[in-house]
Order: sequence, then structure tokens, then C-alpha cells
Amino acid sequence: MSENILVIGGGPAGLNAAVMLSELGVNVALVERDSFLGGNPKKFKYKFLFPDMQPADNVIGELIKKAESGGNIKVYYSSEVSDFKENGKKFDAVIKSASGSETKTFDSVIVATGFEHFDPARDAKYSYQLFDDVIDIKDLERMMGENNFVRPSNGKPPKKVAFILCVGSRDRHVGNQYCSRVCCTVSVKQAIEMREHFPDCEAYIFYMDIRTYGFFEDLYWKAMEEHDVQIVKGRIAEITSGPDNTVVCKGEDTLLRGPFEIPFDMVVLASGMEGGPQSPEISSKLGIELDEHGFLKPENVTLSPFKSNKPGVFLAGACTGPKAISDSITEGAAAAMNAYTYAVKNR
Amino acid sequence: MALEKHESRPVAEKGEHIIARHLIEDENIKEEKNLVIDGVDVSGRWNTFIISRVDSEFDRSFFEEIKKTVAGSRINRCWQCGMCTASCTVTPLYRRFNPRAFIYMMQLGNLKELKKYIDVAWRCVGCYKCSQRCPKQVNPAEMMEALALVIKKYFPEEVETKLKLDEEVKKIYEDMIIGHGRLDLAKLHTSAMQKSGRTKELLGKIERGAILKMAKDGRAFSILKLGKPHNWGSSRKAIENYLHKLNTIENGEAGV
Repeated sequence: MSENILVIGGGPAGLNAAVMLSELGVNVALVERDSFLGGNPKKFKYKFLFPDMQPADNVIGELIKKAESGGNIKVYYSSEVSDFKENGKKFDAVIKSASGSETKTFDSVIVATGFEHFDPARDAKYSYQLFDDVIDIKDLERMMGENNFVRPSNGKPPKKVAFILCVGSRDRHVGNQYCSRVCCTVSVKQAIEMREHFPDCEAYIFYMDIRTYGFFEDLYWKAMEEHDVQIVKGRIAEITSGPDNTVVCKGEDTLLRGPFEIPFDMVVLASGMEGGPQSPEISSKLGIELDEHGFLKPENVTLSPFKSNKPGVFLAGACTGPKAISDSITEGAAAAMNAYTYAVKNR
Repeated sequence: MALEKHESRPVAEKGEHIIARHLIEDENIKEEKNLVIDGVDVSGRWNTFIISRVDSEFDRSFFEEIKKTVAGSRINRCWQCGMCTASCTVTPLYRRFNPRAFIYMMQLGNLKELKKYIDVAWRCVGCYKCSQRCPKQVNPAEMMEALALVIKKYFPEEVETKLKLDEEVKKIYEDMIIGHGRLDLAKLHTSAMQKSGRTKELLGKIERGAILKMAKDGRAFSILKLGKPHNWGSSRKAIENYLHKLNTIENGEAGV
């Protein structure tokens, strides 16, 4: 008899965990809240991934294809775990979908519920949703994906674009003190894409620290050295409307100690990552710990970042904190290995 | 009565009515003798205006101009770490000389700010320590050259008034280069002192110490042996020709 493992969440981490377990001959129940697999990258139509600008479809599409091509994976679309109980060393879960509820016993569980993009409208200083020309990185990603890079206000191509880093991150005012890790690299990547396709359009990045860690630094250097992307030190405190249908970024140039109010055609907010409403929900349902940042808490952040405090329940991907897609995929594999070991041990 | 008092009050200082006047720079205060706005005469004490200090533009055309020059071609690389200023030999002497900030002003086309540094922007001695240490190979030393050219182009009047080339020192310098093909700082110093009539200082305490030190470590003898570079005659001729041509052009432009 083969093992049964429940994977909650069909993003990069959950997909990779499910695919790997399926290849080991495990029966996988993949529960996905949306009507499609792929998580946030699919939902917001990410086009190219950093650091090598490969099409997102090469990565996410590939994983979805593997998960949907049958094997030992049963995908539950538009569904959720409505009830969860421990049954000795195993777990009884009720999976609720449009077609009804199904109760099943699982040997172990992988939680890969991911993150939510910070909603910039929550931070009024950025005037998101107030001005059409203030968008965020996920909006720009979709625009680029749809080959429709124009100013939302008038449909014309912009000539001057500002990227604002640390929106919804590293800000006690909005309640998120952590760094979201990927927004710097995503912004730099988008600035490069923009300058490549629209060389007439100037790109400015307003930063406090640029955290393109590891080899992502290459992108940062490339943006400056090959694409003349200008970085300006200072966080933007206010976005107002300006003359000639522009949006004005108000800030301090901390290197020259002077205030500035610069009009732009378009402003892109590098909104960060949050645990979203799903994290506390899954935490209370499964009885696993939540951390002070609103993400799920690993048992030991260094030794076992993929384990929850409850034996048999494993964590993967951005549900434990902001993460790049590659890290989520790695964690999916790590969680799969641990969930499998646990299942086999307690057979 | 009170009105008359105000009228008779002499306007002594620019912007004297402004509370906390010391916080505002002279050039940011605008006063018109007679001013009419929308048909209303606002002459008198209401004619004082403070110009906003807020920068309202990034002028990228300036950046493009610098980038096209050989010396400034790497301006896009600078990420403002401050390694250049930290390693600079001039900054400890002139705190206002800050290569990092100058590069930033050039990147953002902030001529308004750059203008404030016309007097010190030329102080680079070309030791190239910054270029050697720059982690991004911006070559700040040559960027300072680009800066000098820019300043000369955009602020010719200020350069004319604020910077006066010491003709005597220039003559000594030229004579030394043309005569010897080499620059010797000790000799340059001595001749400059002599020509400016400061011969007494030549045997001052510091100089005596320097001479003694140089005699000890052997540098004094190498100065005496200062020879000319190989085949200097032809190079010298070329330089003299060039200077002559330059003179002719300048005189031509000036209509002499």
C-alpha cells in the first residue's frame, strides 16, 4: 500500500513537492484554492523571471504540466481543507470543493500556502488607486506580459518612470518590519526590461538600500552599466498629482541633503510580500505556529526551516517568509523528502 | 501713525522681515522694488518672496552629455559608495571637495548645486587613488576632469571671476616642462617662491628640515641629476608649436 500525502497550495513550492512525491509513488492530494495551478506567478502573469530572464512559463508551466499529467497526483481545484484532525500519527482532513466534501486520511501534510502581494492602497502616502499612473510591480509584470506597456491614464507610452522600493516592507507604519527580499531584484529586472524595449523611457529607482543579494547583484550592475538606470537615495514620502498629467514623487535626496518633488509619467511601487489571510487561517486550522510577521513559523529556522512545530506537518515556500521562486522550489523538494520519510516511518 | 512709521523705516537688509532669516540663503530671497500681481500692487513689505529650495527636475540630458566624453564615459556606473571621497587626498584639506557628491550632481543634472562648488571643483591633484580604489571602476579622477570641463562650459562667467590663474606659476610650470621635459616639485616650489619674492621663506624651518631629509634619503642628489627625457628636443619643438598655434587661435578669437 502506498502512502497518502496532502499538499496544500499549488504554487511553485507545492507543485514541486507534489511532483516529487508522485515520482516516488506516493498518492498526492493537491488542494488549490484557485481554479488553476501555479500560484501567484500564474495569477499575476509573471512574464520573465530573474536572474536569467527566462520565461516564467518554462518554470511554472513545466511544473503545472507535470502535476496535471496524471500520475499519482489528484488535484482539487477551487477547494480548501475545511476540517483537520490528528488521528494517531496520521491526519484526517476534509477537503471541501464545489463538487462536495471528501474525508481522507493522510500520512503527512505539506503546507505551501504561499504569500500575498502587499496591497499598496493600504499605505495612503503612495496614492495607489488614487492616480491611474501609480501602479505596482505585479501590475507592471502583467502589462509587460500582455505587451501593453502604456500609461493607464492616457494609453500613451511613458517617458519617465520611477520605481519606489520598500513599499509595504521595512516600515513599522504599515506593520511590516521585514525585508521582502525579492522586490529590489524584481524592480531592477523590470527597469532593464523597460529600458531594453523602450530606450526612450528614463528609469529612476528610489531606494534606501538595494538588496539584490548574491548573484542577483549582476542584474543591479547591468541595470546601471548597460541600461543607464539611475538610482536615487531616499524614500518617497508622498505622491501627488503634478502639471501636465504627471505624478509627483516627493522625497529627500539623502546624499545631497535636499528635498525634491519630481514629476514622473508613471510610478511603479515595489510592493512586498505578506503572509496574507491564509497564513493565520491555516495556522489555526492545523494547529501550527504563526510568527510575529504573519508568516508560518518553522520549528528551527536554521536546522529545519521546512518543519512546522507539529510533527508530520511540513512547510514549504513563501508561507514561511518572503522568498524567490527558486528557493520555493528547493523547499518544496526538501519538504517532500521530509514528508515522505515521516510517512514511511509511521506506516 | 503706525503706517507712517512703517513707511519711513529704511529697508536695510535683504529679507529683513523674514522670521528666522538666518535659515534662508541670500540667493533664495527675491525682492522687487515695484511688483504688481494680477493687477494688485504688492510693493512694500509684501514684495519679499522666498524661492523654494526643492529640486523639481532630474535633467538627464546633462548626464548623456558627460557620458559621451572620454573622461566621463563611466558616469552611469557610480553607485555612491563614497570610496573616492574616502580615499581622496584633497578632501581632508578642502572638505567641500567631494568627488562622490560631484558625480551624483552630474548624474542628476543638478547644475544648481554644482554651481556652489565652482571654487573647489578644480582641486583634484590627479593622484588617482580614487580610481584605483573605486569598486565599480568609475574612474573618479578623470570624472573630475569631465567636471572641470562642464563647469567651464556652463559657468564661464563664474569661472572667470572666481578662479584666477596665477600667470607667474603657469609660466614657471611651462618653462619647467618645456625646458626639462619633467616636473620636479622641489624645483617648482623653489622657483615659485623665488619669483614671488618669498626667498626668506626658502630657508625657513620647514624647508630646512625638508632639505636635510632629502639630503639624507638621497632625493636631493637625484634632483641635481635631473636629466631630460630621451630625444627631448623634438618633443619640445612639438609642444612649442602646439602652444604657438593655441595662442594664434585664441588671439584670432579675441580679434587681436
